[in-house]
Formats: sequence, structure tokens, C-alpha cells
Amino acid sequence: MAWFAKRLLGILLVLLEIMFLIFIMLRVIPGDPASVLLNEHVSPAAIEKLTVSMGLDKSLSEQFIDYLKDALRGDFGLSYYLHKNVGELIYEAFPYTARLACMAAVFAWSFGIVSGIVSVMYHDRILDYLFRGLSLLGISVPIFMVAMFLQYLIYYRLGMLPLNFNGSFVSLLLPAVALGWDSAGSVARITRSQLMEQMGEPYIDTAKAKGLYFSRAVLRHALRNAILPVITVMALQLSGMLSGAVITESIFGVPGIGRLALTAIQTRDMPLLQGTVLFSAFLIAVGNLLADLINSILDPRRGLK
Amino acid sequence: MRKRCLAFILVTLLLTMGIAGCGSSSEDEKNSANDGNTTVTADEDKTLRLAIGSDIVSMDAHRTTNDYLVPMNVFDTLFSIIKDENGNTEIVNSLVDSYEISEDGLKYDFRLKDGIVFSDGTPLKASDVKFTFERILTLPESAQTDFVIAIDGARELLDGKAEELTGVTVADDLNFTITLAEPFAGFLSQLAAPSTVIYSEKLVTEAGDDFGNVPEKTIGTGPYIVKEWNRGSGLVFEVNPLYWEQEPSAKRVEVSVMESQAMNMAFQKGDIDIIDCLRLDSAVVDSTYKTEAYKDRLVSVDRVGLNYFTLNEKIEPLNNVKVRHAIQLAIDRESILNSIYGGDGKLEDGIYPSGCIGYSDENQGWLKYDPEAAKDLLKKAGYADGFDMEIAVDSSANGAVNSTVEIIAQNLSDIAIKADIKTMDHASWLDLRNSGDMPSFMALWLLDINDPDNIVYTFFGSRENTVIRSNNYPDSEVISRVAAARAIVDEEERMEEYAALEKKLVEEDAVWVPMFSLKHLYVKGERVESFTPHWAGWSDVYFTGVTLK
Repeated sequence: MAWFAKRLLGILLVLLEIMFLIFIMLRVIPGDPASVLLNEHVSPAAIEKLTVSMGLDKSLSEQFIDYLKDALRGDFGLSYYLHKNVGELIYEAFPYTARLACMAAVFAWSFGIVSGIVSVMYHDRILDYLFRGLSLLGISVPIFMVAMFLQYLIYYRLGMLPLNFNGSFVSLLLPAVALGWDSAGSVARITRSQLMEQMGEPYIDTAKAKGLYFSRAVLRHALRNAILPVITVMALQLSGMLSGAVITESIFGVPGIGRLALTAIQTRDMPLLQGTVLFSAFLIAVGNLLADLINSILDPRRGLK
Repeated sequence: MRKRCLAFILVTLLLTMGIAGCGSSSEDEKNSANDGNTTVTADEDKTLRLAIGSDIVSMDAHRTTNDYLVPMNVFDTLFSIIKDENGNTEIVNSLVDSYEISEDGLKYDFRLKDGIVFSDGTPLKASDVKFTFERILTLPESAQTDFVIAIDGARELLDGKAEELTGVTVADDLNFTITLAEPFAGFLSQLAAPSTVIYSEKLVTEAGDDFGNVPEKTIGTGPYIVKEWNRGSGLVFEVNPLYWEQEPSAKRVEVSVMESQAMNMAFQKGDIDIIDCLRLDSAVVDSTYKTEAYKDRLVSVDRVGLNYFTLNEKIEPLNNVKVRHAIQLAIDRESILNSIYGGDGKLEDGIYPSGCIGYSDENQGWLKYDPEAAKDLLKKAGYADGFDMEIAVDSSANGAVNSTVEIIAQNLSDIAIKADIKTMDHASWLDLRNSGDMPSFMALWLLDINDPDNIVYTFFGSRENTVIRSNNYPDSEVISRVAAARAIVDEEERMEEYAALEKKLVEEDAVWVPMFSLKHLYVKGERVESFTPHWAGWSDVYFTGVTLK
């Protein structure tokens, strides 16, 4: 329990630190939100008026204390552009990101684990090379390339799936594959390398000596021992994906957290950007915590440290 | 075993972090999908599908200077602008039924058309006009104050010294009078710009912060209503059943946000009906659309807008007029126009682009590419060995701007000027430009209203304006002439003054390098019978300009 409390405290501190960092960074980088909003129809008087109304004329410390006070009460400010509470905007956007992340995760994990296992079972044969090549492609090709290729092949050539997200389940398939692609690659590679390691262990020889089929030895014995690091990676991947897939969401027009963060950056919408970054940090911190928990439960030797 | 169970529970917990959200949203999705289906089947062949490159940031005309899709199609202005075959624009009544202007050009008596209602049935009243203009001046983030600043009392209201806009008096539900602080011939044009669309006092007040953000609360008198706005993914419009004019051809309009390549694929597949060539790579436009196969489907409109390359007179040695003249002569505008824009445009030598009222043939044709003469000028100015300068590029600008600036830098290096291209993101770029310290940049001014004042006043109308556009033009006499020109009542005299100012600013003082005005090309799909783009060639279009087969 003490361990748990310590970790929670750690998360809180990290979040505070991130709030502070992003707050300062946003005010240090060039780009004044008032000028972006006024864009071409700009005048010094208008900028000044708007700066005051955004509260950006106050001193930095004053601004930060105001922000912190409101945040502790659960109020993360109003978005400059969307004129809505940041919490509410995130609450609206998160379901889209969540759906996308879950689908991507299901694709990445099933594809990754299966291809990892197949690779080991057909070690150094054609299927192994094929899947190894695929997983290498997975981790090395950037998401936007995968996305464009999928759009070209699946939408344009084959006409099987819609080009962009339109609210329906099928229109999320392409973005999910694009997003899950590189995770699939790394899961496949870790599964394979962990399994290979296990295959050299004496207990596998014992299993084989007992007359078990090779596949059974892999699935029942080796996999069980190999899966632990894979699960850790998966938990981290999921929290990463849940915290927003900026590129995938903007290519496919998914109105999720990543998309919201991107708009916020482009328009220098400070409250919104602070909110989305904080939310992502929170998800990742919680994801890490859960990964550790799962790990220690599956492998009691490691314990909770 | 128990531990394993616990682990399983935890994994499930992690997954449910996401699925918790999925539950609620999939219900939404079912509803909207159902909604969508019923309408689509009814009006399948009357649906117009368009694509835009990035999502709009607001539906409220007062809070944007870029995104006029909603203001143009969901709201109405007092006047509108039409363009004839010869490219001349004309101001015609829209919400206004009739009007009279006093002889001194100060008083405008208007009468609204009778019986116009907002799409929820709320009647349009003269007091709504007053409310709208007051909102433009009092909203802290208002980006449109320039459009009503000519009205008497506007300055006071803007500065917080008055409670109401005294220059607008409402006689009854239909009649109102606007008094200007000084005569301004471009005023009616301003009332035709999407920046001054008329809002309902009652509806805007009731909606509060939701106005411009929530579709159901963003209600206008225009031909369409916003049905959905899915941030980042697009908008859906439907015909306004209470619209006061002829019902448009497209009954439903779906606008999707797409990347350039995706847009092209979707158009090729017939999933969007009109494609905007400015959003495509020019190589794709050349190889695919400027071909025999698409000859009859290309729609072209002259953009009433000037591409200019500006020089900051605060920065040494750009403060030397000879140096600026040399730069004007050194840039091979024709090659840029041909190689980057496929020749789809026209060289411009002044301030007012072709199609703009006040465009003067006499001020054209004087600027020729002449690197030798440029070198001589540099020598005379004492910079025979050249100098270093910086060109700032906004990374959100399209690729053509980047290529143009690269050629400019190349041209400048031919006369020994070493130009360093600095790319920065949009916000930083604006910040630097507004500070008055940006050494030079290439940009486009697209006219909001068809009046020379719209461009010349923006850049040279006051000391502040010259700073904020980073040109820092120093001649205060010329600056006050620009400001005074808007008040000249006699139209001929006003145009003469504008032509004289243009000559002084560009030809004599070399305040910038006028580059060119461009054509805006669109390709219409097979379902589109006819398509009329915006008169000034904006990317935002009036849906009423589209007739479906």
C-alpha cells in the first residue's frame, strides 16, 4: 500500500511539473495568441484589447497562480477559439480517440503476437522472414506514409473502405490500422525475441522429451514465460495511443484529442493546449502505473518496488 | 491463480479506460448515422460534396478572418456583389429593399425587405443591424472592426468611451439610418462583405458563448443551416426551408476536411463534386487537370488579390530606395509565374490588382526584369558587393510560396545579395511581422471588398499600419494622403488620387515588389451543371453558386 501511495504522489508531482513546464514553454515560444486570432485584420489597439481580455497582460506568476487555483477546482479555463470549457472539450473528444486507440490496439496486438509466434514456429523459414520483414516495416515506416498507402490501396484502388472518418465503425478501420501499424511491429519483434530466448531453455527440451508437439511447447510453455515484457510494452502503447494520435487523427479527420491538441498549437490556444497536454500526461502516468502493477502480479518474483 | 485473475482484471481495466468513452459515443454515432441515412436517401442526388484543407476555427464571422464558409452560406449581408462576364463587379441589394444616400455622402437611409425571418422563424428587424455592428465593435476578439469603423461613433464605442453606436438610428422594424463620421465611398462594399453579415440580437444573446460554436445555436437568415460541425472532420449543411429567396439547387452540402492527396483521390473516385486546384500540388494540376479530358470541366476565376514581396524600410540597407529599386528589377516575376503557377495569372506592377476598382492601366508595364540595371543601381547605392538579408516564410503557406521565395533568393544572389530564407510557424511569423521587424516576406492580400481603400489603407493608411505590416514606410505626407483619400466624395477625383498614390508608393518609392495576381482554378465533377466561384476568387464558395445536374 505504501508503494501505491508513493507512486500516486509521484504521479501528482509529475503532473504539477508538466503543468508548470507547458505553462512556461507556451509563454516563452514566439507567437502571440491575440495576433493569431486577429490574423490579417490586425491593429495594435485590437491586439491590446484582446490581450487584456485573455488575461495575458498580467504577470507570469499571477497567471500561473490563477491557472493553478482554477485547475485545483477542476476548471482548466476557456478555449480562446471554441469558447468552451477545456475539460468539456476533452470530454467530448476523448471517446473518438478511445475508440480509435482500442481498435488500433486490438489490431496491433493480435497481429503482433500472432506473427511473433508464427515467426518462432517457422524459425528461419519463409514465413519467419516474411513476418520479420513486415514487423521491420512496421517500426520503420512513418505513420503518415502508412496512412497514405492505405488510403490509396484500400480506398482508391479497391474501394473497400471510406477515405475519411465519417462517424461510422468501418470508417475507423483505416485509421486504426495506420495507428496500430508500428505498435504491431514492435509487439511482433518483442514476442519473437522473447520466445526465441525461452526456446533455448532446458524446460522446453524437457517438454519435447515428454513428447509434446512443438507447437504445444511453444504455446503452452514458452509463451507463458515470454509474454511478460510484451504485456508491459502493450500497456505503455495503449496509454500512448489513448493520449492522442495527432498525425493519424488529422489525416483521417477524427475529431479526437490529438486533433484538438494540433488545433490548439496552430492557433496558440493556450488553455486548450495546457489541458490536452496535461490530460495526455495523466493517461501516460496512469498507464505506467498499471503496467507496473500487472507486471508485479504476473511475476511475483519482481514484487512491488 | 488468484494473482492471474487480478492481472486479467487490471488489463481489462486499462482497456475499459477507452471503452467507457466508446459506449456513449457509439450511441451518438448511431443517432447521427440514422439522421444521415434518412436525409441522404431522400436527397441523395441533390447533395453537394466539397472538401476543405483544414477545419474552420469558428462559425462566427466576427471571430475569424479566414473561415467564411458559414458566414457566407448561413447568414446574409445587407448587400451582395455580383460579377458580370467582363469581370466588373456590381453591388446589389440583399437584405436591403431600398436605400438613399444624402448628398454629402454622410447619411444612408435603409429599408429592409419585409418578411425576412431567421431559420428558426425569428423575424429580422432593423435593430438587429445595430446590434450586429455594435457587437463587431465591442467583442474583445472581434477581427472585423475595420468594416464598421467608418460609422459615426464607432471609434468611441471601440475605445469604450460610449455605450452605443450613435451613428446607427433605428426608426422602426424595417427602417434605419447610418451616419458616417466622414464620407466613404467604399461603405456599401463593406456592407456586402461576409464580415458584416447580420445577426439576430435575440438569438445571439440567448446563445451566449454557444453562438458560432454550436450548430443549432448559430442561426442566420441565409440559404442554408448548419446541421453538424464535427471538429476536425467537417460540416454538414441543409437548405433553410424559410429562406427568403429562391431555393438553391443543392439541398444538402457535406464539407469534409482532407489532406491534399486524399482530396485528389476522392475527386477522382467521384466522392467530392468540386475540387479546388489551389489545394493541390501544382504538378498534379498540370498533369491531371490541365488536360484535354478536363478541358470542359475547369472553372477559372481571377483572384482579385495581389501577391507582393515586401521590403522593410527600417532595416539597413533596405531603407535605401536605390537598393529597393534594384530588388524590384532583379526578380524575374515572369519565370516565377510560368514555372510555379503554370502561367495562370497576370503580372502586376502596382497596389490594386486587376479586377479591383481603381486599377490603373497607366501604372502598369513599367517594371521589367533587368538584372544588369539592378547591379548598376546597387553599385550606385554603394553595395556593389551585395549584402545579406533575410526572407521570412510562414510554414503554413502552401508549397508554391516556398518555391517562389526560393527563386527570389536565387534571383537576388545573381546581383550578389545573399538572401537567407527563414521558415517559421504561422504564429511566430505573425508575431514577427506585427512587431514591424520582419525584414522581408512574400504574401497575398485578397480583397475583402472591391475598393482600392481595402488594400492601400491596410498597408499605408497610418503609421501603425505600416509597422504592423513590417514595411515601415516613412513618408508621413503620403500616409496622411492615403487616409484622406477615403473621404473624397467625387468618385473620379478619388480614383485619380489613388492612382497617384500607387505611382508614388510603388514606382517612385519602391515600397514593395508587386508580383502578380493569379487565377483560381476549380474542377467540377460530373454531377455539377454549373459553378460560379466567389467574385474575388476566395477559396470559400457560395453554395448557391452551384447547380447540380
